[in-house]
Amino acid sequence: MQTETKTRVPEMHIGGRLTRHRSRAFSSRAGTAYCVVALLMVVSVCLFIIVNVVSEGAGVVSMDFLLSPPNASAMNAEAGGIITPLFGTVALTALGTLVAFPFSLATAIFLCFYTKKNWFTSAIRYSIDILSGVPTVVIGLFSLAIFTNPALVFLSTPVENMDGVVVKAFGRSFLVASIAMAIMVLPFIIKSMEEALRSVPIPYIEGSYALGASKWRTINKIAIKSSIPGLVTGVVLGMGRIVGDTAIVWLALGGSIRMPGPRPWYWPPNWLATLRNSGATLTSYIYYTSPAGEGNNFTVAFGASLVLMALIIVLNAVTALIGYLAGRNTREEV
Amino acid sequence: MGSSVSMKSFNAYYADKQALKDVNLEIPQNSIYAFIGPSGCGKTTLLRSINRLNDLIPSFSRTGTIAVGEHDVYGLRGRNAVSRLRRGIGMVFQQPNPLPMTVMQNLLLPVKEHYKDANSTMEALAAENLRKAGLYEELGDRVHKAALLLSGGQQQRLCIARALMLDPEVMLFDEPCSALDPISTFKIEDLLMEIKKEHTIIIVTHNMEQARRIADHTAFFYQGEIVEWGATRKMFMEPEQELTQKYIRGVM
Repeated sequence: MQTETKTRVPEMHIGGRLTRHRSRAFSSRAGTAYCVVALLMVVSVCLFIIVNVVSEGAGVVSMDFLLSPPNASAMNAEAGGIITPLFGTVALTALGTLVAFPFSLATAIFLCFYTKKNWFTSAIRYSIDILSGVPTVVIGLFSLAIFTNPALVFLSTPVENMDGVVVKAFGRSFLVASIAMAIMVLPFIIKSMEEALRSVPIPYIEGSYALGASKWRTINKIAIKSSIPGLVTGVVLGMGRIVGDTAIVWLALGGSIRMPGPRPWYWPPNWLATLRNSGATLTSYIYYTSPAGEGNNFTVAFGASLVLMALIIVLNAVTALIGYLAGRNTREEV
Repeated sequence: MGSSVSMKSFNAYYADKQALKDVNLEIPQNSIYAFIGPSGCGKTTLLRSINRLNDLIPSFSRTGTIAVGEHDVYGLRGRNAVSRLRRGIGMVFQQPNPLPMTVMQNLLLPVKEHYKDANSTMEALAAENLRKAGLYEELGDRVHKAALLLSGGQQQRLCIARALMLDPEVMLFDEPCSALDPISTFKIEDLLMEIKKEHTIIIVTHNMEQARRIADHTAFFYQGEIVEWGATRKMFMEPEQELTQKYIRGVM
């Protein structure tokens, strides 16, 4: 009894003197409730979108829908499939990543290992930050202005005047759009790659130098190898942005749902020509077939949305797997 | 016995802060030289100045000279001179730092770049150094497994074996046992006694008992200066300076 009173004294003392005690308990409960409610709202909105897309689009998606090309009309029965926009998304993502990857890695290595703190590197970092904030529609506009230059006609198709003279390049093609996409994702990939390289344990780096390895070998054999999961994450981040972007597609890939190049577009000798021509991606297809575009066909738009979401999920899963495998390799056995 | 490393009027700075003041020291060949002193006294800075690892720190600067053998460490000229210097000076860190690859790959890492000998020759050399480090029988087939799966003590002995692959003239140890248990520590101390027959060893340690057990010579650092240096036995039995006495008795 005695000891119990003793131990309870301080608490009673605080409770007796400071009236905020109760209100604190209240505010703590209110804070918890606020967090839970906010969380439930966010989760339910996300779930609602997913459920809605699935329920609206699941009826349309079939092998036929996936593998047949879209028709000229987006009206209900004649809408056709989405093979060309699906290919467009995959091709553009692959090409854009391919263009962005070497530049991002080189820039990240430079920023991480070769720079000192001075105005020059501050300027570089600042420009990268600005680039990451530039709206993608501006990048699309910029690429249209650059790539319509007749000197760059090899990236798209020539536009001739009445006399058959090439006056400018069309400036819209898979190749052009992949360069624009690469520019758009550069800052994001650079930032996450630099972070990955910086998180390489310093003992690894110092150990490598102490063994007499050159700087380049240290970067190449130690830093890059042990940050592969982080580098892969950077690439995925960029891929996700390319898959989801619409404005650059609209301006730099052109406004055709179908493949306007030589047919059939999937015939290997025609590949380069196909990539030099315009096309569509799932995002631009969704725009065209939505009521905002010409289609006014919610059903196929939702079907394409479902495929797009599935693609993003698969992309994330595959790259997570690559990161996991690469990480396991460097952790355990090579 | 000639001296293997010699420092003359060596001063080191981190930006404006002076970390070492007028250090003059001769490290004799084939012996163990211990650097002791409280944290922040400059002993690690001096150690890392010998293989120019402090060059990685942008604010670091120094005056004075350090010579390893007949090479002036800070007067080296030519392409990759620093890399070549570091290949002649092994270093073992406080935290064992095997790289995320197999034990064998760790051992071959320093030699693969520069030597064109057959793989079998290099693997034989690796096995020999593993045996020296007492790891050969202990690991068996595990030499082809990830180095990071070894225990801390084994990792540290692997790092020593890795440094030995280049047959360095001098071996630097930066508190190599401070992250290890006593048994691993004794194993490493035995290994150091073995290595010193063919290499010159400099070891930074916080553990005075360790210095007493293994070092032939000891230097006591305090606030960037070497207060006292000489034969370990004499230094611990009858230190000349009051500061040294206090530190050794643990009252500082």
